[in-house]
Amino acid sequence: MSKSKKRMPVLGIFLAVAVIVAGCAPKATTKGVEFPLMYEETPLTILILPPMNESTAAEAKQYYATTVQEVLSYWGYYVFPYEITSDILKMEGIYDAELIRSVPLAKFREYFGADAVLYTTIKKWDLQYMVLASNLTVSIDEELKSTKTDRTLWTYNGTVVVDLSGGNTGGGLAGLIVKAVITAANSAMADYVPYARQANRRALSSFPFGKYHSDFKKDQSMQFIDQTPEKEKNK
Amino acid sequence: MKSNMIKIMVSLAAVLFCFGCSAKKQMYYWGNYSDSLYHAKKNPGVESLAKHKEALENIVEESKNRNLRTPPGVCAELGYLYAANNNTKKAIELFQMEKQTYPESTILMERLIMQTEKRASDDDPSKNTSVGKSIEQEKSIGGSTNE
Repeated sequence: MSKSKKRMPVLGIFLAVAVIVAGCAPKATTKGVEFPLMYEETPLTILILPPMNESTAAEAKQYYATTVQEVLSYWGYYVFPYEITSDILKMEGIYDAELIRSVPLAKFREYFGADAVLYTTIKKWDLQYMVLASNLTVSIDEELKSTKTDRTLWTYNGTVVVDLSGGNTGGGLAGLIVKAVITAANSAMADYVPYARQANRRALSSFPFGKYHSDFKKDQSMQFIDQTPEKEKNK
Repeated sequence: MKSNMIKIMVSLAAVLFCFGCSAKKQMYYWGNYSDSLYHAKKNPGVESLAKHKEALENIVEESKNRNLRTPPGVCAELGYLYAANNNTKKAIELFQMEKQTYPESTILMERLIMQTEKRASDDDPSKNTSVGKSIEQEKSIGGSTNE
């Protein structure tokens, strides 16, 4: 009796820590559970459609568009050359994101040979400059739709926060000063291509792999973690 | 609770493991594609476009050197730039290369080859609106055009 009493506080502390950790940690789920249709249809070719920009940053669309093809290719799909396909769409008079939504999906299959199309809405593209840390906050909605069945195969609605302060430079006051200098230099550079790439990559973390990836059809049980920070979710 | 902890640990381990793998095995060589494309869009002009074309050539060459598959779309995009410069032969060669590497691109590549051939056989350039003009239009998307 006395022994178990003694163990109680230890157990209590352990439970408290576990609750805190579990509470903080975003919930993890698997690709197979969330997106079974991806494994059923296994699209091979993806057409990236010009994004709809609802953010206040005019350049967001360009940052997104110039980085998404490269990033998506690493997931193992044949990604159509965005520079060509967006050009063709424009010549067909459907460059506008609202108009694109009205095009029947079968048309994209017929014209380009796309198995699926990726729609993107950029909700937020915020740069926050601070002395010791600068952040790029990107909120996007993405949806992959099948051109065969019109079904939604994959979605992402979330926020990615990319730290722009140049990584870990070590502790101590000297480290902080170095970090502040790097942050200032990074912000001044105003070249966010690598960060846009990173935001894209993180948004795709739940995207099942395609034909050219070594884990094609093998990643159903792969877990992913929702990237959206808690405070963003509660908004 | 404990199983939650374990799950978290396992997923963290999985993430670390994946990073480890990707560092070892390279899938594609993209060079400085995003950067040169972004700059070509932001500061449209002959110079920035030439730089981007150079970046594309470099990707094709380096991929060959490293025994990697050329990334999807790169040969096609380079071919598109050649077509805009009226280099029909080189353009079609590149579209064919894309088709060979990625047979699933056949529908689009055939379409591009057809357009390019049609354009080449057309003596009157003002009649044609397809490939070449599109590059010109492309330059003005960013809003501020220097030219």
